[in-house]
Amino acid sequence: MDKNRKPFPLLGRMLGWVDKPGSAMRLVYALGALCLVLFALDFTFTPHGHFGFETIPGFFGVYGFVMFTALILAAKGLRRLVKRPEDYYGDTAVDTEDYPEELLDKVDYDA
Amino acid sequence: MLETLPTAFLYIAAALVVPFLPLMGRRLVLLALPVLAGWQVWNLPEGMLWHLTFFGLDLELMRVDRLSRVFGLIFSLAAFLGNLYAWHVKDRVQPVAALLYAGSAIGAVFAGDLLTLFFYWEGTAIASAFLIWARGTKAAFDTGMRYLIIQIGSGVILVTGAVLYYLETGGIAFEHMTLGSPATWLIFISFGIKCAFPLMHNWLQDSYPAATVSGTVILSAFTTKLAVYALARGFAGTEILIYIGAIMTLFPIFFAEIENDLRRVLAYSLNNQLGFMVVGIGIGTEMALNGTASHAFAHILYKALLFMSVGAVLHRTGTSKASELGGLYRTMPLTTVFCLVGAASISAFPLFSGFVTKSLILDQAASQHHVFVWLILVFASAGVLSHSGIKIPFFAFFAHDSGKRPKEAPLHMLLAMGITAFLCVFIGVYPEPLYAILPYEVDFQPYTMGHVVGQMQLLCFALLAFAFLYRKGIHPPEIRAINLDFDWTYRRAGAATLAYLWAVARASGAYLSGLVSGWAWGVFNRFQYSTGPEGRMAQTWPTGAMVMWIAILLGVTLAVNFLS
Repeated sequence: MDKNRKPFPLLGRMLGWVDKPGSAMRLVYALGALCLVLFALDFTFTPHGHFGFETIPGFFGVYGFVMFTALILAAKGLRRLVKRPEDYYGDTAVDTEDYPEELLDKVDYDA
Repeated sequence: MLETLPTAFLYIAAALVVPFLPLMGRRLVLLALPVLAGWQVWNLPEGMLWHLTFFGLDLELMRVDRLSRVFGLIFSLAAFLGNLYAWHVKDRVQPVAALLYAGSAIGAVFAGDLLTLFFYWEGTAIASAFLIWARGTKAAFDTGMRYLIIQIGSGVILVTGAVLYYLETGGIAFEHMTLGSPATWLIFISFGIKCAFPLMHNWLQDSYPAATVSGTVILSAFTTKLAVYALARGFAGTEILIYIGAIMTLFPIFFAEIENDLRRVLAYSLNNQLGFMVVGIGIGTEMALNGTASHAFAHILYKALLFMSVGAVLHRTGTSKASELGGLYRTMPLTTVFCLVGAASISAFPLFSGFVTKSLILDQAASQHHVFVWLILVFASAGVLSHSGIKIPFFAFFAHDSGKRPKEAPLHMLLAMGITAFLCVFIGVYPEPLYAILPYEVDFQPYTMGHVVGQMQLLCFALLAFAFLYRKGIHPPEIRAINLDFDWTYRRAGAATLAYLWAVARASGAYLSGLVSGWAWGVFNRFQYSTGPEGRMAQTWPTGAMVMWIAILLGVTLAVNFLS
């Protein structure tokens, strides 16, 4: 893909691991394992919450998962209501215009 | 005398000098001055240091206490970081605007009376508009105008409130107020506009994505946090703020989720973070105000860091739209890492700054038994993770490969981001120095087993939900579109109504003048003919005669004076 070009920066090549096949699933599994550990940790100490439900093991985990999903679904619903084409406000908004070139410094990595 | 000189004067003096310096001189002044000002603020003694009497009103230009000092410090730090990030800027407008803007914000923080506050309040409005106009396009000019009208409007409401307050109480000292009279309500609304209360918030999402790369970073630090300070000073413990703040944390997260322009996503996110601070002010206990002040401090840093990283992407690729970006980590790895640090800080992961400041506010909301508000704040924390913690780094630097291979950000940007990222981690790992400069004694331990496990659970399970939704394709895709928000009322509906009324007025005006004109012109011409400059009546009136008569009249007056 990037033949005859300068190699990417070292850190960039190291981060490249995430694009290897199977890496993404490994990350998800690791995250799942971490969630299990965090859930188990709830049983190791005596919580002192201000509300009763705070002390239910796994409350924060369930709340986070459910509410995050609800947020995404609600946002999808909102999008149906408020989505408009990019040029809706015409030339009174910056949404469609390109950022002025002369103020930028666009350089390719192998330049 | 010199050591108690109002800090704002330093910035204003530098702003007067800067336009006449060569490029290197401008850069050095921009970096040196915030350091000098920060050092001065650090060493200020407490008390009222600078009085002025102005038309019989007592002005207090330097009210230094623990609350104003912490804001004075973070504003100077933000000015330094923003100016370092703007090292590449070559024009002469932005440096002056940045200095006047930071100076006005610091002046307002130290203002001990409403008139001085108003003066600097408008100063921030006018100076900051130039950071939007510096982009130089018609669209940026229009956006800057909309921004300026709303900001100046806030100042006009403030000064109206101040006048009523003076009539009511006989003084203009800026102290704690109680809502109730028209005066305090007006002042409250004026603060609310600048603080982006719900339905008064759209100037923020409208204008920040329109500013220059470095301008947005500077904009993100001052205006809204000045409003937070003003609310904390004037309206601490006002219960309505708890509910306003809770709504503020809630609604922007839905919009941020579907917004395409990453700088606008960050503007929505900024709005949501302000909500946490406003809740803290509404609760109004000493610990809650500590939470607000420390959260403002940490927030300025990580929000600037996020704006810097997205700005660096914009600077190198020419776009900040999620639909056009992705896969940039290969060639911009350092920017990616700094962005991830900012994302972790705003999401309040343990060991990052957001964790040690936001938990103060959450803890206070819980201990004051605001159960629903607390549930909203926890939900909003998961929401922050969704847009600022995941969306910004993931869709800019990972996700699908956009094929863009930009060079790593320039050195000065990397430096600015590096210092800011270091501070985010430093505060998270070792919060004691920050706790030490807060307005009140801190009696709080963020790193307890319960806090850490609870917060980690919330975030990790939410991340798991994201992974699940993204792989199933349920997560809303990034598409080139805009979303309507409340600003539609004045940008579309209001504008259409005005255009209609204007057309009606013009048509009826034309009709009326058609009726009147024949007759009126006749009368006018007759008068013109006889008494106009070329007319009969004007011929025998040389100017000299008039001067002579004036001299005679003055002489008579003089004589009458002597004789009486």
